[in-house]
Amino acid sequence: MTSAVNPDRLAARLGDRLRATPGPWEVYAERARRYELHFNGTSIELARGPIIVEGYGIRLFRPKGKETGVGYQASTDLTDDGVRATIGDAEEVSRVSRFPAEDPHLPDPKTPSGGPELVDRALWSEPVRSLDDFASKLFASFEGRPGVVPSFGSAKATLAEISIANSLGLDAAFAHSIVETEIGVKSFGGPEGRPPGEYWVTGTSRRLEADRLPALVDDWARYATDARAAASPPTGQVPVILPPEVSEGFIPAVLGFKLGAVAALRELAIPAGTRVGGDDLTVRDDGTLDWAVGSAPIDDEGTPRVARPVVVDGRAEAPLSDVLHARALESTSTGNAARADRFTPSPAWGRFHHAPSPRLSTAVIPPGDGGSDAELIEQVEDGIWVQQIGWAQPDVITGRFGGEIRIGYRIRHGKLAEPVRGGVVGGAVIGAEGTPSLFSGLSARGSKSRLVSGLSTPTLVVETLSVSGEASPTPTASS
Amino acid sequence: MSAGLRDHEADLQRALRRLERATPFAEVMAERSLGESVQSDSKSLTVHKSPRVAGAIFRAWAGNQWAEAAASGLDSASIAAAVDGLETRLASATRGSPPPGESSTTVGAVEAAPARPLRDWGTERCVEWTKEVMRWAMAVPDVRFCQSALIWSEDERHYLNTAGSNCFQRSSRAYGVVVPVAAENGKSEFNAESVGSQGGAEALNGFDESLVTRTAELARQLLRAGKPPSGRMNVILDPGTSGTFAHESFGHGTEADQFLRDRTYLKPLLGQVVGPESLTIVDDGSVPGGWGSIAFDDEGHPGHRTLLIDHGRFVGALHDRETAAAFGTKPTANTRRSDFLSRAFVRMTNTIVEASDWNLDELVTEAGDGVILERWQSGMEDPLGGRMQLKVRLGHRIEHGKITDLVGPMALSGSVVEFLRDIRGVGNDRLELSPGMCGKGHGDYLPVGGGGAYLLSRAVVGAS
Repeated sequence: MTSAVNPDRLAARLGDRLRATPGPWEVYAERARRYELHFNGTSIELARGPIIVEGYGIRLFRPKGKETGVGYQASTDLTDDGVRATIGDAEEVSRVSRFPAEDPHLPDPKTPSGGPELVDRALWSEPVRSLDDFASKLFASFEGRPGVVPSFGSAKATLAEISIANSLGLDAAFAHSIVETEIGVKSFGGPEGRPPGEYWVTGTSRRLEADRLPALVDDWARYATDARAAASPPTGQVPVILPPEVSEGFIPAVLGFKLGAVAALRELAIPAGTRVGGDDLTVRDDGTLDWAVGSAPIDDEGTPRVARPVVVDGRAEAPLSDVLHARALESTSTGNAARADRFTPSPAWGRFHHAPSPRLSTAVIPPGDGGSDAELIEQVEDGIWVQQIGWAQPDVITGRFGGEIRIGYRIRHGKLAEPVRGGVVGGAVIGAEGTPSLFSGLSARGSKSRLVSGLSTPTLVVETLSVSGEASPTPTASS
Repeated sequence: MSAGLRDHEADLQRALRRLERATPFAEVMAERSLGESVQSDSKSLTVHKSPRVAGAIFRAWAGNQWAEAAASGLDSASIAAAVDGLETRLASATRGSPPPGESSTTVGAVEAAPARPLRDWGTERCVEWTKEVMRWAMAVPDVRFCQSALIWSEDERHYLNTAGSNCFQRSSRAYGVVVPVAAENGKSEFNAESVGSQGGAEALNGFDESLVTRTAELARQLLRAGKPPSGRMNVILDPGTSGTFAHESFGHGTEADQFLRDRTYLKPLLGQVVGPESLTIVDDGSVPGGWGSIAFDDEGHPGHRTLLIDHGRFVGALHDRETAAAFGTKPTANTRRSDFLSRAFVRMTNTIVEASDWNLDELVTEAGDGVILERWQSGMEDPLGGRMQLKVRLGHRIEHGKITDLVGPMALSGSVVEFLRDIRGVGNDRLELSPGMCGKGHGDYLPVGGGGAYLLSRAVVGAS
């Protein structure tokens, strides 16, 4: 559907074996090859692959009055006996479980043509060579940088074929690639005798982008070096600037839950129509962006993915849903069914292990008129630029996040000043009307957006986050 | 799991013999698991049986690096696909040194049988358990939503290598959790309580109405709780948080693969006094029934207790065969894979702050002012920078030597070395391991236990 790669249609073949099973039913299948390189410094300590996974999940829907018994069972056993046993397990589970919706409407056989770009074709055809080239370019990017080395890291490529079939005749398939990188950059030595510093960065994307490495390593080396001389941040409520890499750590998770159908059904969501931000704030969920890890032609039930607003003019919109939740909430699926667990919101592979539930595709916060990063800093006058948080650990029920500042910078008199490290930054991402939150306290948005994993956003300036450190509570007091 | 994993031993041994032609050392870990997850909430009841998944991963020494290949099947075609892939890599490998360290020759089989297997309960009884827990929580005023879950698993692992090691283990785990959510005027707060250990229904002992009601009552009180204090202050960690501290600070920091990479602040401190006499931290994979306990690690070494800090002195680290060889010591049975698709790393098992001689009242009096951090939520390590982040659901202020107001969620941040230096007391509490999942870096989650005693030190704290 989306690429030159002709994906396998395992789900349809398995679906043929379910024809005698009463509907509604659905089969989700995944064939994945995985290749990995793990680095120790600039040498390869472990080369992995192919790691081959071929598996599927069968979901059955059984009516129970106004409810539905949903039975899901995953398996890697493709034999006739294995498929029969999987169907048997799903039937057994459906007898016990219950979901408050009757007669769920599965997607019909009409599948969209075209779709977003999802496959790195060079990687798909030559994964081992592509990863080797990436590693060579990564190591080369550190050459000529005295006192800065990669301490460890990995590059992992997953090449997967997804197929979905259901009792209505749906037969859809697409291919996608996912690249996960993790790199520790260490700064050491020098005459000052300071302990070494590290910038530890991870990324998930759909392409191996080796050409960007020299510029990225420039930035990473600077952060690692600055971490060695960083002081504690101040305590208090100061303006905080968040680049996309930081916001991605908590905005999609909180937004996806608080504006999603799981929370709506359980009365934990922010109701549609609630004011959550200023009149100029519009946020959308977009499953159609090229190269976004949350994009695909269809969601994990087979419903076409689309772009849909979740906040319009500062007010929450109707929740994002899958087939079951949509039925329970008397609406229709928004194409947001995803198969994941709480540890890996967008797993590169092994999705067939999980029954679907609604999740954001990619959250898109459009650019504002705040200008470049330098202009945003100038507008803040005094505050903190947070470059990395240890783990923001978003708490989806309360909508809060918080974590240690691994590296950031004080902003003094409209300019980046000394590096800061340690202390805690946190607050609410989104909240009920009148509750201070990141969305209600957005004072500026940069003029350019960047896509980082599950979020496309400009740099944000927020006035409502709290910072706890050891330095003077007045940011300019010691300047 | 009657047609057991061991039925595939001959095929796996044949595959190793094939690989032996191209490598001085090869090993395989085959795995099968089953289990069930029952989750009730106020709106739905979800039951999942564990995926019917089995497979094997092969690792071989390729002259100057390790190479691995795996397949999600134990049939001959799947095993052949993995071995073919590995042979291709080995064919292009350079001739180099022999594999690092000693290969395990351990032979053994451990089939831990739960006293009361949850498999015997059947799904209906598991469902009833979750519903009863939910009813207890929902009976507390202002609790508007509740989720409870019961999860059990049985895992078989079979490790074989070309040096003759042959280790089979079957383990069972049971885990119960309740998450009551209180809500008022658009504000939601939750609390959580969980139990988990190896075994069966006996793991749920103590998870009764009184515990669930207390958990739900705290969720309700959090609606009106004050903000936590902010800045550097005296902090007391409750036993669960203390275990998380041990895990994030000395656990990750002593995984010796970080020593090989020169990526730990602890390496130069080995052998030195880093904390008070009252502080002892261990990693112990041999705790009977421990959530993170293992019969054998994934290099074929029996589960083991390793002293990390002995009465204030940093004495040991966690090793696989490679790091043990590099540092002239023995592997500590800490090589673990999340599953047969994941790589083997140096990992923790159960990381524990051992009890000393202070009671909580004495610690609170000693603190004078500060905050108690309770109900750990998560932690994050910083192996090179020597910092840590701990997050908790709630806490209480300490004022004038007394425990006073309840406060909301907090994060603690600080330098581990300074935190150790500032420890002024370790409690005399009985060890209770709490269940957790640990990632290495940003993935590869596996079960680990943590626990300890109340512990008084100083750190920066802030609302989160």
